[in-house]
Amino acid sequence: MRNLLIIVLIGCWHLVVSQNYYIYVTAESEDEVALIKFDGTNATVQETIQIGIWPAEIEGPHGINVSPDGKYWYLSVAHGNPFGTLYKYSTETNEVVDTVMLGLFPASLQVSTATGLLYCVNFNLHGDMVPSTVSVVDPEDMMEIKKIETGVMPHGSRISSDGLFHYSVGMMSGELFEISTSKMKVTRTLNLDEKKEMSMNSGGPMTGMDHSKMGRSKAEKKMYHSTTKPTWAIPHPTNGKVYVAGNGSDEILEIDLEKWEITGRLATGKAPYNVDISPDGRYLVASYKGSGETGVWDLKKGKELGRVKNTRKVTHGVSISSDSKYAFISVEGIGGEPGTMDVIDIKKTTKVAFVDMGKQAGGIIFWKME
Amino acid sequence: MADSKVFANFRTHLQPNLNMKTLKLILLVVFLGAGSLQAQELSIKVSTEPITMKIGQSVQIQAMVVDADGNKIPDREYFFFSRNRRALSVIDSTGMAKAIKHGEYSIVVISPDAENGRLRADVDVVIEPEALSKIEITGIPDKVYAGVTVPLTIKVYDEAGFERPEISVALTSSNESSVAVTPFYKLIAKSKGKSIISASVDGVERTVSLNVIENPIVTINLESEMTEGRTGDVFLLSAIALDKNGNEVLDAPVNYSFTGDSYDVSAAPSGLMTKDGKFVADEPGLYVLNATCGSVAASVTISANKRNISRKIDLIGQGSVNNKHTSDLWIWEGVDGKDYAVTGTWGADGTAYFWDVTDPASISLVDSIQVDARTVNDVKVSEDGRVCILSREGASNRKNGLVIIDVSNPRDVSVISEFSKNLTGGVHNVFIYKKHVYALSAGRKYYSINIEDPANPKIVGEFELDTPGHSIHDVWIHEGIAYSSNWSDGVQLVDVGNGIAGGTPANPVQFASYAYPSGSNHAAFPYKDEKTGKFYVILGDEEFPYGLDPDGRKPGRAAGFLHIIDFTDLKNPKEVAWFEVPFAGSHNFWIEDDILYAAFYNGGVRVVDLSGELLGDLNRQGREIAWIVPEDPDGYVANAPFTWGAQPHKGHIFYSDWNSGLWSAKLKPVVPKDVKIESK
Repeated sequence: MRNLLIIVLIGCWHLVVSQNYYIYVTAESEDEVALIKFDGTNATVQETIQIGIWPAEIEGPHGINVSPDGKYWYLSVAHGNPFGTLYKYSTETNEVVDTVMLGLFPASLQVSTATGLLYCVNFNLHGDMVPSTVSVVDPEDMMEIKKIETGVMPHGSRISSDGLFHYSVGMMSGELFEISTSKMKVTRTLNLDEKKEMSMNSGGPMTGMDHSKMGRSKAEKKMYHSTTKPTWAIPHPTNGKVYVAGNGSDEILEIDLEKWEITGRLATGKAPYNVDISPDGRYLVASYKGSGETGVWDLKKGKELGRVKNTRKVTHGVSISSDSKYAFISVEGIGGEPGTMDVIDIKKTTKVAFVDMGKQAGGIIFWKME
Repeated sequence: MADSKVFANFRTHLQPNLNMKTLKLILLVVFLGAGSLQAQELSIKVSTEPITMKIGQSVQIQAMVVDADGNKIPDREYFFFSRNRRALSVIDSTGMAKAIKHGEYSIVVISPDAENGRLRADVDVVIEPEALSKIEITGIPDKVYAGVTVPLTIKVYDEAGFERPEISVALTSSNESSVAVTPFYKLIAKSKGKSIISASVDGVERTVSLNVIENPIVTINLESEMTEGRTGDVFLLSAIALDKNGNEVLDAPVNYSFTGDSYDVSAAPSGLMTKDGKFVADEPGLYVLNATCGSVAASVTISANKRNISRKIDLIGQGSVNNKHTSDLWIWEGVDGKDYAVTGTWGADGTAYFWDVTDPASISLVDSIQVDARTVNDVKVSEDGRVCILSREGASNRKNGLVIIDVSNPRDVSVISEFSKNLTGGVHNVFIYKKHVYALSAGRKYYSINIEDPANPKIVGEFELDTPGHSIHDVWIHEGIAYSSNWSDGVQLVDVGNGIAGGTPANPVQFASYAYPSGSNHAAFPYKDEKTGKFYVILGDEEFPYGLDPDGRKPGRAAGFLHIIDFTDLKNPKEVAWFEVPFAGSHNFWIEDDILYAAFYNGGVRVVDLSGELLGDLNRQGREIAWIVPEDPDGYVANAPFTWGAQPHKGHIFYSDWNSGLWSAKLKPVVPKDVKIESK
């Protein structure tokens, strides 16, 4: 017991001295993942990891996350013939451990601490406007166990802190889905467009194209397009709410999990895209893709503390450090520009560092501090 | 006491930073740690012995979470999944497993735990095979002549209907003097007589009767269309089997074979003989071509000389691009009568370059254009030389699609319009044919887009397979037929205006296809040999089995070869030949005047003679006329050839290389044999 106390105390000692933060960021148009270190002052690329198997085809690394035990990182690669792939890498060597094929354009993903399984949305960004799925994967055997049907173009997703519920949004169907991670099925659905006017095609909002015959020209059908256009969903660690980025409505929606209804709206900058919440539950940080900014919110006050202009245009992903101090932002850039990772001091609401990396920086995940 | 002292010292040391709040946090961590230790003693109890099941049986998988003392922990949730659900299914919420196919499998059971992390265990299951039920024997011809070998196909099935390829049967003949049994299920019909052939295993038996009749053949007249040729030339054999009265035996089972002597003592004789009597030599030599039927044989001797078609190839010029990767190229005669080229870029800034190549030795950059993309993967120009299409991938707004450009003056190009409807997923390849653009969409299908008014393109039709997991890589139009390359679905021939199947751009109609096991079909090009009347479609594979270079800068190496498919009979395409370059892989290629110009990535450009009937290993036969590998010490990756595409144009060969830009080369003229060149 004494030895345990000493170990814990020594660990805490390290907390009060300066820290190095490590973050993984995908470069979607470069087929690379950058491992970046931020030492409190400067951000540098520690390692650039080439991904995929086709040197002359852009495969598109998109979503990324780290296993709860920190031993592995998982990467969704969007493009394939035609399906995307989930890669499992070792954080020790940054080498591929295994892969499994998922659906069309797999995107955001996370491992549940309660089940140990990995849940990845199949975004199907460029396919027909039909309901897509969430793939449930056993990350130990790298085997897809199940596909759970959700909405049209599911994009952002995160799991509750107890690991029991997975939340994702259908970008074009305008819905929030709650999936029980243990039952592996949708338990609740919420229409985020609420009473807004919807234009429906003849078969209903979810009808897709009929491809049962080859070689026939198709008349165009009008598809339902959500006005909210939700692109991210993240449950708060403690307050019983889920926050959704309304990319089409320039707001963050607050959904009460008990009432299962929208209970608040936070007016944001243009086209909020990804969202993260600090582990202490105090802050919400959102990327504003449309204005190239990042918004920092104090959730207790319900107030935006400030907006930080990002280094480049097309702000993409957000990941907050485990000590709730810094938000790491991926910024895509345009054309031949490099992608960039910005570092934002949350309390001060200022950009304190940035580093250039491969083109179209997108998926981002904080890994560790040491 | 000692603990207090340690704690006091620690507290003093940390005084500036440590407050009561932090201290409480530390204690909380210690407490939680202790609790965690206790929780780790839980486990899932499952059967330690494999569960044995019979096909069709259902079994409830038992699992429970217990503590270190084996006490069941109540109110735990469980879910189950099978590692091989096609053979052993399990309902995830209940653990009810059903055995579908014999074998050894496992089921994973997980009990979620929000506080302490999930518990997990494996349950091994053995599904016993059903008893064998039947043996099928096929391959017995209606008439069996004495002296021939009869190969049998034998399949064993069990009670559940599964084929059992791992089971071997014992084969016996009741009359060994008439029919002998040999390994690998082959029968030798030795002499006239009747025999019962039995196949048996584990108490299951199947018999067939064989009636060997006198072999009436006493002579085989064997002729070859020619007795002297070159390697790669197809020698067509004609074997006529005659009985003692000189009558032809029409159903004679004639087997063809060959032996040979190479003209080169360091090489072994080598060639290919087909079952229908076509021979092609790989190595120059003297070959004896045989036709046998039972004990009757005939042979002809032929000489295959070296093909001797090598020609020198000269590097003529280069349009260097060394600050970004280059993708595809297209060469055309402009409206002003001069010759131009357009090249795309890859993984860069969306630039496409326009070149004057009228003098291939002085390739000059005349214009460029930048579009919102990271890759301009494909570039094409219309037949009239006025409109250029660039395909886009990696657009910053993720809309990708096409850019339509006016190139009537390639020195001053301008964007006419952009089109991304239904093409947001990236257009990997395009083709322009008769005022329509055929554009791939997200690697799944292609659209036909009318560009009669290039400022207002409109989709008029589309083509998409409906096979599971279908995917498309490229499309090429020739004489109104679209040849699309569809990876594991192979090549699809689609009428988009030819009329052969009544198709139009608005109503594409598929009428032929060919798929093959590699699943790597990446490009296609049709070719008709005017002399033989044969119609081939050449299919290229793109593979990267060697993986990526970790730092992304070294020369890459590809794999994959060209398959030559004989499509003369559209309903029965047949793979007849191949062209492979060792340690290199095919990419884009072009055929003109019986010559193939193929880009082989790290293998550069290969120029190959396609004249005559094609059969076997075209490279080994010496059909390669020339090769040239672009190496540029100033390349984007120095000295790292990675050739993307090749196109012949007015006597020159133009090719684009991923690391070095645009190149031109020229084959030296063919020098006739026995010609003396005299000079004054």
